[in-house]
Amino acid sequence: MSWSKVKLIFLREVRDQLRDRRTLFMIAVLPILLYPLMGMVFLQVSQFRREHPIRVWLLGAENLPQVPALLEGDAFAEAICPQEESRSIELTVAPKADQSIAKTDASARAQEAIENQEFDAVIYIPPNFAAELDKFHEKLTFTKPTPGEVGASDVPKPEVFANTASDKSRVAYERVDRILSRWRGAVIAKNLEARNIPLEATRPFEVVNIDIAEEGSRRIAIWSKILPFILLVWALTGAFYPAIDLCAGEKERGTLETLLSSPAQRSEIVWGKLLTVMTFSVATSLLNLVSMAGTGSFVMTQMQRMDMGGVIPLDFGPPPILPLLWLLVALLPIAALFSALSLAVAAFARSSKEGQYYLMPLLLVSLPLMLFPLMPATELDLGTAIIPVTGVMLLLRTLMEGQYWEAARYALPVVGVTALCCLLAVRWAIDQFNNESVLFRESERWDIGLWLRHLVRDRGETPTIGEAVMCGVLILMARFFAGFVAPATADFRSFAAVTLILQIALIATPALLMTIMLTSNPRKTLSLFAPRWQMLPLAILLALLLHPVAMWLSVGIHTLYPLSEDAKAQIQALTAPIAEQPLVYVLLLMAVVPAICEELAFRGFILSGLRHTGHRWMAIAGSAAFFGITHSLLQQSLSAFVLGLVIGYLTLRTGSLFPGMLYHLTHNSLAMTAASYWPDKLKSVPSWEYFVAVDDSGLYYNPYFTLLCGAAAALLLYWLHRQPYAASEEERIQTAIDHQTSLTGQRPVWRLW
Amino acid sequence: MIHVRDLTKTYADLRRGQFVALAGLSLDARPGQIYGLLGPNGAGKTTALRILSTVLRPTSGEATVNGYDVVTQPDLVRYQIGFVSCNTAVYDRMTAWEMVGYFGRLYGLSEELLEQRMEDIFKRLNMQEIRDVLGAKMSTGMKQKVSIARAIVHDPPVLIFDEATAGLDVLVARALLKTVAELRENGKCVIFSTHIMREAERLCDRIAIMHRGDILSEGSLPELRERHQQNDLEDMFFDLISAHEARRAEQQEKDDRDASELPIYS
Repeated sequence: MSWSKVKLIFLREVRDQLRDRRTLFMIAVLPILLYPLMGMVFLQVSQFRREHPIRVWLLGAENLPQVPALLEGDAFAEAICPQEESRSIELTVAPKADQSIAKTDASARAQEAIENQEFDAVIYIPPNFAAELDKFHEKLTFTKPTPGEVGASDVPKPEVFANTASDKSRVAYERVDRILSRWRGAVIAKNLEARNIPLEATRPFEVVNIDIAEEGSRRIAIWSKILPFILLVWALTGAFYPAIDLCAGEKERGTLETLLSSPAQRSEIVWGKLLTVMTFSVATSLLNLVSMAGTGSFVMTQMQRMDMGGVIPLDFGPPPILPLLWLLVALLPIAALFSALSLAVAAFARSSKEGQYYLMPLLLVSLPLMLFPLMPATELDLGTAIIPVTGVMLLLRTLMEGQYWEAARYALPVVGVTALCCLLAVRWAIDQFNNESVLFRESERWDIGLWLRHLVRDRGETPTIGEAVMCGVLILMARFFAGFVAPATADFRSFAAVTLILQIALIATPALLMTIMLTSNPRKTLSLFAPRWQMLPLAILLALLLHPVAMWLSVGIHTLYPLSEDAKAQIQALTAPIAEQPLVYVLLLMAVVPAICEELAFRGFILSGLRHTGHRWMAIAGSAAFFGITHSLLQQSLSAFVLGLVIGYLTLRTGSLFPGMLYHLTHNSLAMTAASYWPDKLKSVPSWEYFVAVDDSGLYYNPYFTLLCGAAAALLLYWLHRQPYAASEEERIQTAIDHQTSLTGQRPVWRLW
Repeated sequence: MIHVRDLTKTYADLRRGQFVALAGLSLDARPGQIYGLLGPNGAGKTTALRILSTVLRPTSGEATVNGYDVVTQPDLVRYQIGFVSCNTAVYDRMTAWEMVGYFGRLYGLSEELLEQRMEDIFKRLNMQEIRDVLGAKMSTGMKQKVSIARAIVHDPPVLIFDEATAGLDVLVARALLKTVAELRENGKCVIFSTHIMREAERLCDRIAIMHRGDILSEGSLPELRERHQQNDLEDMFFDLISAHEARRAEQQEKDDRDASELPIYS
């Protein structure tokens, strides 16, 4: 790949985009106009809101006591409701003529008044309220009851009506409640005074809140949650539209074929376009950020001056400068990731219109990753750092909050994972540009019957990539729903039944059925060939040697992502019943059956389908990913993914499914017996403690012994790597093409005529 | 220069099953020669030329351009060719001069050489007045000129024209044919696909008559006339295709009859 050509393509695409009036408007003009406009509208609306005070209706005013007074004239008493508060309350006191109404009547009228939106809240003071209040007061003063003697029934009950489904009514209710609480306070004070008890008796201690956060850091805490989110949303949107124009748009305009027949390699085209999309993604989010932060802090300051009744935190000022700089640093990897994703998706789309449809799914997938870091108590650790997008956002937050040491510890995994995702997306995009069915897809009338018939009639020797992915997704879905239906049990028989059903019906059967229906060469699809005999002992030896490594890997994974208490309890509950069974049954169920069923599906059907990509490691990783996700626990999934990589490699290299089955069988058998069987047996072996340590939870290999085994396994794998390999047609062509591109460093033999 | 053997291309098609776009195409074209692919719509001309320009991959068979294999050395093949088709549009938001320059640079021409080539090409193709016109403002004829300029800017040994005169008025089409003829005089190997008899007759040194992904007859115009005892190319074309269709129908009928004559055991 030549970077000078990438630069050439990049410069052309940028110029092309800048010449498009719509793009320019979306990227440069819209953000500059949008936020001030939004701010203006917001200010207008909030003013509008202020000019509409809440309307409160007071029924039964004549039942109120004289002291302490709730009302002064037609408004709340100033001692209870300060003037600036009562300004936003429009109190209507019902005239005396209405006062004699019965209680049921009153509540009906109050409800009607709120439903008709005449009032936002209604206070109803029942008849004899003042008299009952006095009676209660006297009871307290003269009979001096003990605490048990006074009940809720002795206390008069005024009522407040509101409709909490309506915002305005709810606000009215909250304000009225505040006022009534203060009034109640006044009544309490009066009662206490009558008995010569100081008011402080009701508040025996005062809590003093001391917030040690400096003003600046509180502001950072708020901004550090808002800004990364906004940045991310705009980075994605800013990447998506140019990506559609650069891929699907070019297809529509017919210039893509021109470019594809030029000497630019697919990878150069994709990188050139990726840099363009990234530039626009960065520009869009920066402009939006600057415009939003500017307008936002201006509007906030204005609103504070107008005092919006505690809606806005007092120190919500403009964002501090240093965190903004960190934001800029983090913007690059985020923009790169989103650009690569958008480009891959856009390259798949046939037309701009089809491309637009893909924005929503893309947003839906990335939104949880963006929202997760906003949840309280989500912290940056190794576990969260390696989640794409989430890791970047958490790293950004840590940086903005000034915890540089924390950030430095996790910077490498975050950047590494982001870079890996980027490269995968770029690879995907390049594959889209190589895929002629994507480039020259024509719309065809689709008919499910015809399509199914086509699948069976035009089947190839081995499944297509799509069929392989479909098989994986089917298994995952079946597994997911079976998880709900299958009873969680501690009984071995039902556990065995569930495991058998899962393995045979939900994993092996779909793969076998699809093999028979969708492929013309089931033997080749499932790699059911006899391997060279050496490969069988090799598989077993490899599994034995790699078992210590797998154990340590599992320890590492469990440290990184500790098991939840629920999962621990579930596993524990099963351990005992399994240990009671004869070893043969356990191995049959947990080692033999999975080794056959899972291998048929993942290294059989799925792997042979994915090999059509022409990249064998991508095929292996893809099948391992499906294999991993099928395991329901995250910790098991990660271990299984690594296991899948090894078995996948073994299957491809030996050209047969059987060595992989043997490996799987050996691996599972060791895993099942490591905790229960071996510890006892090993004690009779001399100097066993040099190799393994045994504690309550099972056995641990000596780290040096593990390294030794790992090295020996690496040698075995190297030997395997040197063995002759039967490449698929696509792999052969891909290798030839890769070889050719490496030659293009020295320009080919051609001269100007 | 161009060597094609047993090239096939099949597509999966919902309705028709495996649709054969190319059924074992073989041809050889030499430098200083215009090789014409003459066929009705859907004959497989575009598929064949797309394979030669490495945009499509063949299902089987072999094709080399100037000694480079289209499947395993696509990047090298693309340096050898200039490809003009009705599907290779020009950029809307680029002027003619920018567009040709852009492709020249993609081919790795030095600035000095590129400048010289472009001045020469713009003069020869009479493109001086559209030099600074954006693609979106050009007429179909102007766009086709830019496409040709773009395809020859790196002076490739092989030029591929796929229905290049489609949609052009007589004047522009004539100018285009003149340019193609000039390219032959400069020793280029030109492949020219068309469904217009007159063009093939006037221009091509060798003609392959294509139908349903196969070549029905191939040779220079005099050879074809001699072989089929037919002076008029259009009549010859029509006869060949009718005869082929008749044979196909006969074969189909025979297949159906064989199928129905299968013994039925009760």
